[in-house]
Amino acid sequence: MSVTAKGKGFVGQIHEGAGWYCFPTSRFKTITLHAFIINELNREEAAFGAILPHVLQRGTSKWPTFMQMEQTLEELYGASLRAEVGKIADKQLISVHLEIVNGCYLPGKPDTLRLGLEFLQEVLDHPHTRDGVFPKDVVDQEKDLLRRQILGLINDKGQYAATRLIEAMADGRRFGLRKLGQVEDLDKITPHALYEYYQKVHRTRPLILFAVGDIDPGIIEQFMQKYRSPTPRQELQSIEAYTPHFHDRFLTEQHDVRQGKLNLGYYTGVTLDDARYPAMMMYAGILGGFPHSKLFVNVREKASLAYYAYARLDAMLGYMMLGAGIEFEDFEPALDIIRQQVEAMRQGDISDQQWEFTLRAFDNDILSEEDSPSQLIGRYLESVMAGGGLIGEALRQALHDVTPEQVKQVAQDISLDTVFFLTRKDTQAKVREEGLS
Amino acid sequence: MNPVQSIEDAAIGEKREQLVLPSGLPVVVFPRPGFKKTFATFATYYGSIDNAFRDPQTGREITVPDGIAHFLEHKMFEKKGGGDAFDDFARLGASSNAYTDYTSTTFLFQTTAQVLDNLGILLDFVQEPYFTEANVEKEKGIIEQEIRMYLDMPGDRLHSNLMRALYVNHPVRIDIAGTVESIRTITPDNLYTCYRTFYHPTNMILLVIGDVDPQQIFDYAWENQKRKKYGKQTAITRIFPSEPPHVAEKRREQHMVVSMPLFVMGYKERGVQLAGQDLLRQEITYGLMWQMLVGRSSPLFHRLYGQGLINDRFYARYGASTTFGFSTLGGETPDPAALEAQLLEGLHNAPLREDDLERAKKREVGEYIALFQNPEELAYAFNHFFFRQIDIFDYVNTVLSIRLDDIERARRLHLNESLRATSVILPEVADES
Repeated sequence: MSVTAKGKGFVGQIHEGAGWYCFPTSRFKTITLHAFIINELNREEAAFGAILPHVLQRGTSKWPTFMQMEQTLEELYGASLRAEVGKIADKQLISVHLEIVNGCYLPGKPDTLRLGLEFLQEVLDHPHTRDGVFPKDVVDQEKDLLRRQILGLINDKGQYAATRLIEAMADGRRFGLRKLGQVEDLDKITPHALYEYYQKVHRTRPLILFAVGDIDPGIIEQFMQKYRSPTPRQELQSIEAYTPHFHDRFLTEQHDVRQGKLNLGYYTGVTLDDARYPAMMMYAGILGGFPHSKLFVNVREKASLAYYAYARLDAMLGYMMLGAGIEFEDFEPALDIIRQQVEAMRQGDISDQQWEFTLRAFDNDILSEEDSPSQLIGRYLESVMAGGGLIGEALRQALHDVTPEQVKQVAQDISLDTVFFLTRKDTQAKVREEGLS
Repeated sequence: MNPVQSIEDAAIGEKREQLVLPSGLPVVVFPRPGFKKTFATFATYYGSIDNAFRDPQTGREITVPDGIAHFLEHKMFEKKGGGDAFDDFARLGASSNAYTDYTSTTFLFQTTAQVLDNLGILLDFVQEPYFTEANVEKEKGIIEQEIRMYLDMPGDRLHSNLMRALYVNHPVRIDIAGTVESIRTITPDNLYTCYRTFYHPTNMILLVIGDVDPQQIFDYAWENQKRKKYGKQTAITRIFPSEPPHVAEKRREQHMVVSMPLFVMGYKERGVQLAGQDLLRQEITYGLMWQMLVGRSSPLFHRLYGQGLINDRFYARYGASTTFGFSTLGGETPDPAALEAQLLEGLHNAPLREDDLERAKKREVGEYIALFQNPEELAYAFNHFFFRQIDIFDYVNTVLSIRLDDIERARRLHLNESLRATSVILPEVADES
């Protein structure tokens, strides 16, 4: 593995389920390390995957208590450790993130990369145990917190509505599973069962380390040697793309809320590794990616029906979600305007201004990613998981090569799967309960 | 023109260049070699609390509708002859936004191309107000939806209720966006009055962070400003009611769709009317105090966490301006009463130790250094300090100068029962119907 000079983006590789990618740059004042263990999302283990990162950050053999962990991080000039669960399509990501100030800006110039890697390794490899398993009090406390987190999804109404829509579209398929698992799965989590789960994923599941900062990639490569098991890890599994089970379905749910949340899920069939992906991005950008986009202009600026209105692609699964927060009575006009805009896209009704603004906005977004360590890592991780696809400068170039005809082409294959409306209780929201078309 | 000043914080490899244009507008540039994006803010020292002031034209004292600073922020994007500034930025590949808080209103863009042209748009749209009966009416629908969105956000209600409990008179007790009712009374006339009073260059600051040549920015900004012929502005007179040394209510509760109660308690600071170095010192001292008493590395935090009374999003912080200051401590909890009781017991009795202070200082220094790689956060912090006459580069030295007895004294003064209030959001009672 050759190590390239600064300014070339990520270097690194994944081999037999163990990967490392390093972005050497002196632009940042911190060193960012993100480790991901990637497991296939499944109903039986989802809650295990959700709780594990929280238990890992509670203590290690060197710093057995949570307080000692936190005091050590504070001593490292307020290094931040975040252990959490994530989800990309049908994969569950157990992640440990560490960000630490580059030692060259600190008194005494400590080698904070070495200290950071040691800390990360301690968290991943040497969790605190009692009688050979995770301590029971720690597991019980974290179970309680996870239970509350699962129940707490309703606290963010916009996110709740979006989650319910995806669940409905998944119709039992794994990509619809929640990354936190379900409350009723928590009972199966015992100190012993969780420790077995930890040993399994730690030894056998794909593990990828990302590093961004003023770093010699050779150090990261060498560090990752420790994670090459004698028996190879599982290879990264490809993502199972989504196909629609429904067409024009309408679902509603009632809560005591002050604002309605309207979300629409569309099948696009275009994923990150698809040659049509840049055209699909242009489509979603023109429709609802920006303040100049059709949805924002028509739903908010012209009709004053919403404060927000957006279109968002899931490039891993191949769907698009449209969302708006609206007055309950405005359900019909808002839905009509949204559907008119989607139809306009199908007709290829795109002004030169919409096209140019969108292209420039993507230029700005893509170039700006390079100024943020976590965005750099996020994008690269997605392309690794999609098994290819354009990102960064190559994606930017490809967007410039897209033609309006290609955007019209992808528009023809887009179909409405489900509409989900979160509305208030005890009122006759004037909505049609069945087929919309 | 005034000379350009170059100011350094050599220990962390940072410098900024700044000058004040003849119109009175301060311009500050943080050069960011190697960064792709340029981030710029144009901010006015005018926020939601400035709802009573002396009209500079008539000299009369006036009170304007609640939420008008935020409404004005929305309306600035609209241009004479149709179209809005969002489009102008989009044409040049930039994205733009704006936000209003208690004490300031900030307009911003970020771009990876055509920095100077974007800067021109920023200066022009903020300095060319255009309000009509029709465009003001139309905005009311949008802002009403924004307010309703906040009404469904439990964290937002929690804080809003706390402020109403803590403060008797000070306008910091009013929601930044106002209410659905208050914004309905806004007219083009009172928007223009607020605009004339608070959007003069002497009350604003232009900040640019990016891989740019500072001199070019200064020259461009001045070319833009000198066309506009700003005259002298009489000093702004802001009118604040006096705030009594007690809270309005000890406790506020509200029921909402939440899975678990949300708790926050606040302490109102009496030692206000500070600015500059004194205010910075107060903010840092209180910040270190909270970190030591109940921060993530403290025994109290871990006792509460171990009992399941808090999760790792629990926070304790202090924020201040020149006319108010308050601390907030809170998070999700299954048992607000138990959390409150344990906090009170722990906060007053926890020993304050030298090595805890040293660690807390290291954390402050690390977080300060990390700030400089995040343009959005740097801009927010810089402007916040600037309006309070604080030089951000004084931060580390001030942190290092705080002593344990400063923290002890802060606890004695700030943790005052008569200045404490609590706000709780409780889950809806189960509805059987």
